Amino acid sequence: MTNTFEILPQPSGQSSHQCWSCGDMRAALFCDSCGSLQPAAPTDYFTFFGWPRKLNLEMPALEREYYRLSRLLHPDLFANTTTQEQTWSLQKTSHLNDAYRTLRDPILRTEYLLRLQGLQVHEKPAGASLAAAAMGESKKGASSELLEEAFELNMQLEELQMNHKMGEHDEDLERQLAEQESALVAKLAQLDGELHQQWNQWDALANTDGLPASKILDSMVELLSRRSYLRNLVRDVKEALAD
Amino acid sequence: MAYSDKVLDHYSNPRNVGSLDKNSNEVGTGLVGAPECGDVMKLQIRVNPVTQIIEEAKFKTFGCGSAIASSSLATEWVKGRTVDEALAIKNTEIVKELALPPVKIHCSVLAEDAIRAAIGDWKKKQGTEATEPAKVQAAQ
Repeated sequence: MTNTFEILPQPSGQSSHQCWSCGDMRAALFCDSCGSLQPAAPTDYFTFFGWPRKLNLEMPALEREYYRLSRLLHPDLFANTTTQEQTWSLQKTSHLNDAYRTLRDPILRTEYLLRLQGLQVHEKPAGASLAAAAMGESKKGASSELLEEAFELNMQLEELQMNHKMGEHDEDLERQLAEQESALVAKLAQLDGELHQQWNQWDALANTDGLPASKILDSMVELLSRRSYLRNLVRDVKEALAD
Repeated sequence: MAYSDKVLDHYSNPRNVGSLDKNSNEVGTGLVGAPECGDVMKLQIRVNPVTQIIEEAKFKTFGCGSAIASSSLATEWVKGRTVDEALAIKNTEIVKELALPPVKIHCSVLAEDAIRAAIGDWKKKQGTEATEPAKVQAAQ
């Protein structure tokens, strides 16, 4: 059950390479000195864009940088170069696309950062994530509350579906469920607000190691798991009401 | 993906669906879930106070076929066992019995957690410390 991201955390940001073509140092995508395309180095998505691991991202900036890099790295531009450079261009372009797709989605971005920082997101507790290990009683309480809620809601949904099967329409139940749906949507919005606060706290950290950082990361894991639950519940209610 | 015959059997003919009085002192309730797939599983046991044998087990699971089959099987297995014997049930045994594919292993983990959570709840009611902290929230 390893995660699906093939890029492993790098110890630090931009690592210096030696340009394979001119031997100069400190090349990233291209050699600073001669401009040759460099081999695909295993960098995380933030580093690939030359950014720190921060969660507040300006979408226009991301898009601009994505298009700029796409134009520089596109395999068509390397049609007349060595096979090796063609492969690198292809690898980098595909890495760029993955990076863009992940970073532009707020939830995928958060999950990606958490994995980069060594946390397990949406994994079984047997793996004993930092979050599970650090989870206190209060968090457990909150989660079991959510489980109760999910269970009750599912019971109601099942009742509604059975009624429908028997050709009955229980308007009271449907109204209740519609109310639940808006309550869930409101909760989801509130949760996104909380997640955003954690982003800000994370981004404000000068040092991403140590207790404050791991606390923030743990709450993000917890928020994401609650969020994923809520999102599923909203989907189920919507489906049931649409039937 | 095709389900094994055993999963299909438990899915279409689940054993011990229902609930027990969660306020009863003899009843332990475990409610666990897997946020990523939205599964919720409730497993309840009724323990004979003298013999410590689980005499009754009920479950209600909202989730995929494997989750339903895993919890259905779990209720069958805990019945007639002592609490300590039930704690020894491992998710790998469920995987084997139901021939669950790797992507569905977390369903069996959930069922194991549900057993532990139910027993943990029951132990709390008896005023004894759980041998292992019940995982109220499964599958981070």
